[in-house]
Amino acid sequence: MVDINKLVDTKSSTQSKEVFWDQEVYDREIKNIFGRSWLFLTHECMLEKKGDFITTKMAEDSVIVTRHTDGSLKAFVNSCTHRGNSICTADSGNTKSFVCNYHGWVFSTDGKLVDVPLREKCYHDELDRDSLSLKTIRVESYRGFVFGCFDETAPSLEDFLGDWGWYLDTWMVGAGEGAELVGPPMKSILKCNWKVPTENFVGDGYHVGWTHASALHVLGGELGGLAGNQAEMPFDELGIQVTTRHGHGFGVIDNAAIAIHAKRDEYAKYMEETIPKVAENLGEPRAKLFNGHWNCSTFPNCSFLYGTNIFKVWHPRGPHEIEVWSWVIVHKDMSDEGKREVVKQAARSFGTAGTLESDDGDNMVQSTQVNRGSYTREGAMNSTMGQGYEGEHPDYPGIVGSSFIGETSYRGFYRFYQEMMSADSWDDIRANDEHWADCFPNKNYWKDRIAAKAAEAEGE
Amino acid sequence: MHNTEAKERVSSELHYELSQHYYQEATLLQNGEFNTWIETFVAKDLHYWMPVTERRYSKDKRPEPTPYDMAIYNDDYDEVKDRVARLLTGAVWMEDPRSTVRYLITNIEAFHTDKDDEFVVRSNFVVYRHRGQLEHSEHVGCRQDLIRKVGNGFQLVRRKVSLDARVTEDKNLYIFF
Ligand code: FES
Ligand SMILES: [Fe+2]
Repeated sequence: MVDINKLVDTKSSTQSKEVFWDQEVYDREIKNIFGRSWLFLTHECMLEKKGDFITTKMAEDSVIVTRHTDGSLKAFVNSCTHRGNSICTADSGNTKSFVCNYHGWVFSTDGKLVDVPLREKCYHDELDRDSLSLKTIRVESYRGFVFGCFDETAPSLEDFLGDWGWYLDTWMVGAGEGAELVGPPMKSILKCNWKVPTENFVGDGYHVGWTHASALHVLGGELGGLAGNQAEMPFDELGIQVTTRHGHGFGVIDNAAIAIHAKRDEYAKYMEETIPKVAENLGEPRAKLFNGHWNCSTFPNCSFLYGTNIFKVWHPRGPHEIEVWSWVIVHKDMSDEGKREVVKQAARSFGTAGTLESDDGDNMVQSTQVNRGSYTREGAMNSTMGQGYEGEHPDYPGIVGSSFIGETSYRGFYRFYQEMMSADSWDDIRANDEHWADCFPNKNYWKDRIAAKAAEAEGE
Repeated sequence: MHNTEAKERVSSELHYELSQHYYQEATLLQNGEFNTWIETFVAKDLHYWMPVTERRYSKDKRPEPTPYDMAIYNDDYDEVKDRVARLLTGAVWMEDPRSTVRYLITNIEAFHTDKDDEFVVRSNFVVYRHRGQLEHSEHVGCRQDLIRKVGNGFQLVRRKVSLDARVTEDKNLYIFF
């Protein structure tokens, strides 16, 4: 029997291999994590007009998101309240109502049951339609990015994002116009646990030089130097890594935002013009991030690369499989030509046939499937890289690690994962708000490091 | 970009030549001779395109995807060449040991266009890929090509690959269709 309360050891920075394999662990995740977190649904630019809808998933539940006739966003479970048939089978569209294919029940864009065939003749007008609305889901949006939550007791989306919202504003607000997503999403199946790609995006700068050596060789440029993880690179000076209270985190490579884009004339011009405006709008620390390349995950299963601008959700399908959905992030105030360039380049590197993303598939799948072996599955996985070289930073909220090649964000992701898995309710989680960062004990790391740097500079 | 008008069907002789070209192309790709393929079977003004097509209701009047929209492939010649170059770096861990890919090309229909040396050719495909011990996938769809007569052979000028599956059941689509 797996002990759900001991999946993650935050002291030794290890996780039981069962987290990638065990069905009971997965069932608990569906309840405690996917049942209680804000999950990414769509972007408002895909729901501009009244009646616009998209279908998506929240973990394994199929959901419909609509722009209702009163202008508000609605989300509900895509299952008829009669015999449970799926009521919408299109990816997106615009409609006044949804008609179930089985017996023809009709639901409006806020999920209310508005009509039923043979209501008088066969239901004798006795069907209580008001009690037969589709199951509704909490829906909130942050800077146009729409999330849903099954749990009425969960904090607001803004509080759930917490400090992560401060970072997201770097590009979701940027110079003022912010960003949006371009679809339709690419979709594919990968036979891995959902956490393998999530942890990869949240904190894996380490794998880039090795896994993606082939693509980096062909690409050359700023990131070409990473190929083969050359020892002489001053990794501690090239970026940082961050984790936050609710598990969201990222790594940044300084000055490399658009480095993966082989063709980037428009994007380079855009960045040059925009960085000073971001500095004015949001201050220097975030202007610096604006020009960096980020690998990120918003807890639990939404990841993106800012700069490269691919945006992904890893929908779980049991412990050993996911459905990957990929959109592209574009800045709203870019030229149409610039947006098209970004869409093309992002899909080229990190789409279904991505020159980099194609390298990762085996890593994801094998790290999962190898645990079929019960002897293999015993014991733990290691994420100790850079432990102790992290702490509170004067400029950046959360816990900040010294390099983008480190596992700070892994530690923060699994710390919150364990907290959610063990907690009985959001009240239990809230009770830990003051102490969440206790497992990062080197409180003076940045103070000392910055002081040492200053002393060194003076000595010269 | 992809709407060159297909005129009358080509003669059986030309149809035979074009079919042979397609089989040769499949053989090159199956054997991993990507350099030969890109150097001799592909025109420098190539557009290689695999759009993402949503599932929409038939009443939906929005237009079909164009090359300005989201696509899995949307490459010019140099971009496809870079994809080939990546495969030949010796650092693609997923291709060592190599996977096998098998192309079944059928339903070849070829048509004249306004230009004497260019043809619209449609074909169906099934691509089977096997990797490692048990891993396998299949991809089914059709291709709409513009093919140019060059010397004794033909070169691919435009290819639109339409996949039948909305959700790709494979790790990636890093396969030349
Ligand atoms: S199941 Fe939907 S109308 Fe009967
Ligand atoms: Fe990767």
